[in-house]
Amino acid sequence: MDITDASCQVVTLDIVGQVCPASLLLTLRKVNEIKDAIHQGKARLEVLTDNRDSVGTISEAVGNMGYGYATEKKEGHYVLSISAPR
Amino acid sequence: MTPETIQIALIVLLVGIASGFLMHRSDFCIAGAFRDLFLFRKTFMLRILLLLVVASMLLFDAARRLGMLPFYPFPLLGAISPANVAGGILFGIGMVLSGGCVVGTVYRSGAGNVPAIAALAGLVAGSGLYAEIHPAWASFQKSSVLFPGMATLPQLSGIDPTWFVMAVSVPAAWLFLRWARAGLLSRKTAVDGYIQPWVAAVALALLGLASWVAAGMPMGITTSYAKAAAFLEALIVPDHYAALSFFRSAPLDVVFPSGYPLRGGPGARLDGIALIQFPLIGGILAGSFLSAVSLREFRLRFRVPPVQIAAGLAGGVVMGLASRMAPGCNVWHLMGGLPVFSVPSILFVAGLFPGAWIGSTMLKRLI
Repeated sequence: MDITDASCQVVTLDIVGQVCPASLLLTLRKVNEIKDAIHQGKARLEVLTDNRDSVGTISEAVGNMGYGYATEKKEGHYVLSISAPR
Repeated sequence: MTPETIQIALIVLLVGIASGFLMHRSDFCIAGAFRDLFLFRKTFMLRILLLLVVASMLLFDAARRLGMLPFYPFPLLGAISPANVAGGILFGIGMVLSGGCVVGTVYRSGAGNVPAIAALAGLVAGSGLYAEIHPAWASFQKSSVLFPGMATLPQLSGIDPTWFVMAVSVPAAWLFLRWARAGLLSRKTAVDGYIQPWVAAVALALLGLASWVAAGMPMGITTSYAKAAAFLEALIVPDHYAALSFFRSAPLDVVFPSGYPLRGGPGARLDGIALIQFPLIGGILAGSFLSAVSLREFRLRFRVPPVQIAAGLAGGVVMGLASRMAPGCNVWHLMGGLPVFSVPSILFVAGLFPGAWIGSTMLKRLI
């Protein structure tokens, strides 16, 4: 699924400033919550975090679960886009 | 202010800056190493910690044989007692709840993390709280000491430390080679300016050695939190402060081979402890701040779930208490005591595991 698809809803999870394990736990919970929508290409999850460690661990975790992901740096935080498996 | 004093302060400051920078760039989270084993079944940082311990023991022993160390083993190792395990378990709970250990808390505060700043406040409060229970705890420690006068395995067995170092580092080296080949010692991540933790581990071992040579012992910082509490109490409740025997104690009392004396304790004085710890903490704060700012990632964010700030504060208090009860913190025991086979440190680190498990179980319910 092309993540620039206009009909794809963007769900945002803003966990900037939160503690490290919270970042991974909350992301995994959100991913599971909307996993059907992600698999069907109807939605993608954007996680906003400033926790450097979490950027690596979240990418690894969702990557292992088969999702596509991309990382982008904005001013002072990172945006992780999680989309359907390729 | 003698030249030696300035020299020690400067070297310790530089060690601190380098450590803070490296730990921020490599996400060197010691609390996470124990926590993520139970929370996510991840063992990556535990492998890195093993590398840090083995690198340290090799460097320390080589330095010892070369006559570079002013004291061997280093002062303030403490006595073997069940207090070491109890302190370790409590510390494990505290560091998981607060989101970071004593150093993680400092380098995250330097990067603008608000729960970490709450944890710092908790560390000072917990250390101050310890002063209230010190007479009871100290007498428990004294009555439960095993093998008085000795702390390390080489001391207990009469066997040269190098044998212990070889017995651990040879199989460990084989493990590291296997792990490296399987890609288990490096991490893929998209963040800017990332330094691989294995590089930081080796660098921290070198920095620990620098600290031992210049300041007489590897890195230690938690007595300074007790000092911060002491300064506050001396200011706000001077009569109560004066009645607390803990703040009058001065366990550090050594003389360098050069004749330079180093004395100090947790009280509200600028003494030897202040000399070797304040520049270290300041350095770690400065180093992590520099690292975050240079990546344009420094920001103070207050919109954080209140339960995480509360957990940070509570975890900090527990860590503060535990670091005075053990005594010592994870940095002191992992990076200093374990590499010299100190039994109090082995007991403390063993206690970290069940402590982290308890803390992780609590954390899962809070988030």
